[in-house]
Amino acid sequence: MTAISENRAKKPRIEIDADQCNGCIVCMKACPTKAIRVREGLARIEGVCINCCECMRTCPRNAISASGFQDEDLCGGDRVVVSPSTVIYSQFGPDCLPNDILLALRKMGFGYVHDQSYTSELFNFAVELYIKDHRKKGDTHFPLISPACPVVVNLIAYRFPSLLKHLPPLATPREIVTREAKKRISLKYGYKPEEVRVLNITPCPAMTEFIKESVYRKYAHADKAVGINRIYESIQKNLHGIEDDRVLHHSSGIGLSWGMSGGEIAGLDRNCLAVSGMDETILYLEKIEMGLLHDLDYVECRVCREGCIGGPFTVADKYRAKHLLQKFGRMFGSEKRIKYKYVIDQYKKGWFFTEKDRSLYVSGDSERSIAENIERLNRVKRIVEALPRKECGMCGCPDCETFAGDVIDGKCNLRDCLFLRDRPKILTQLKSEIRNP
Amino acid sequence: MTDLTKSFSVKARDFVKAGEVSIEVQELLKSVGFPPDLIRRVSICAYESEMNVVMHGGDGTCRLTVCPKRITLEMADAGPGIEDIELALQEGYSTATPEYQEMGFGAGMGLPNIQKNADDLKIDSKKGKGTRLTITFDFRDGS
Repeated sequence: MTAISENRAKKPRIEIDADQCNGCIVCMKACPTKAIRVREGLARIEGVCINCCECMRTCPRNAISASGFQDEDLCGGDRVVVSPSTVIYSQFGPDCLPNDILLALRKMGFGYVHDQSYTSELFNFAVELYIKDHRKKGDTHFPLISPACPVVVNLIAYRFPSLLKHLPPLATPREIVTREAKKRISLKYGYKPEEVRVLNITPCPAMTEFIKESVYRKYAHADKAVGINRIYESIQKNLHGIEDDRVLHHSSGIGLSWGMSGGEIAGLDRNCLAVSGMDETILYLEKIEMGLLHDLDYVECRVCREGCIGGPFTVADKYRAKHLLQKFGRMFGSEKRIKYKYVIDQYKKGWFFTEKDRSLYVSGDSERSIAENIERLNRVKRIVEALPRKECGMCGCPDCETFAGDVIDGKCNLRDCLFLRDRPKILTQLKSEIRNP
Repeated sequence: MTDLTKSFSVKARDFVKAGEVSIEVQELLKSVGFPPDLIRRVSICAYESEMNVVMHGGDGTCRLTVCPKRITLEMADAGPGIEDIELALQEGYSTATPEYQEMGFGAGMGLPNIQKNADDLKIDSKKGKGTRLTITFDFRDGS
């Protein structure tokens, strides 16, 4: 199995509260990378965590939370740029227009507030250009998969590495906004670029990982990220009595709808598909890997249901949020407010491209050789064949096959299986087989 | 050193389950640690041959044999067989019913696609006697 770099596997952004966890197996069953085990009555993350938060969403006791934020100096003065995710516009109800929210952020003391929705529209156009360019040349893999959802990118690196080629080498809107804000403000006021700090306001726990881990720091550009839920109250307080009459929001309804599933492809005049939710995303990635869907140009995948408005750090109900974004979509219209010639020029200059090498996401080969893996899987198979395959999870592993693998790797004991415990004959037979393969 | 083998059954006209065998094949190869490009080629062939069985072949079995240097996929069915193998290997030639074509299958790309992605393809088929495809992939380290 291809593994994601060591330091990420060791530092998931998920925390499990040992006082709340009662060792039920709900999160373990929900984890798409089978990273969770229940040992000694407690859930713990042992494998590769891609920060999708499925465990957090399913935990019946609210024992799991996403970590990684610090409250200190959020509003650190005139060199801090704040760049909120477009999801934020869907959180405050129909009476708060996007511009009000951006002004409220200014009122809170942020020197600069940069909207992402306009850049999202630019990104849409860059995708169109990229598709046109490469359909003609025939030198890339279709369908392209949107690089916007960081968990999808993690998931591809971990479970579908052959699909890394389907990710276009374009920087996401949030990366472009961050990069440009740093560049412009440092130029205008004579700061060094590293003195300008960028804070993302995000619905997504995986975003913080991109910022914190050293490998990504170089590319992510943002210095900090805070969940929408952490800053929500402060924004709400500042929404009243705004005297500022600046216009900070420039996009049409297309850029505003990015937060919901289908919002990204709404601005694309191509053969597209939008998928949301972890199970559906996996299903469609499997289809693409089997060579299906190659007639499509672009697939938007979001692991959160209904898109980023269903993210773990949101406040508003995702269906209300969706309706609100649709409403804003009508209000601001679908006529893109971008200058096409400008975008084409910028595209040619490489403005939209990322210097990120995506093969970095997958690092290190499996410690075992292919021959060793075949040997190991044969032993796993022998154990699995002796089991009744109830997939009960009572051993603390998500399924019988994983259990057998853990036994071979010495991480757990054959006696952990409730079925084997009562069948000494099979148990001794398996034990001798494991010892002498 | 024993090879790793696994058998799967493929049910005729079961479009709900169709594709699941290919996914299992894919997952198994990933856990062995083959490079993504090789897995991709195998899974395309697995899917195409699985769909052939589901559409034309009647019930069948898929047998996967994995050794460090070679992957073999045998897809056998008890269906109507292929009348003219040479013709069936031509792009665009299809015997799919209009019903299947409406579902988006039967573009006549199945066998040609397998031939394109496999290192070797053997077709053993006679009219009325079923079909056996033996698809092999070679894995050379570093290529």
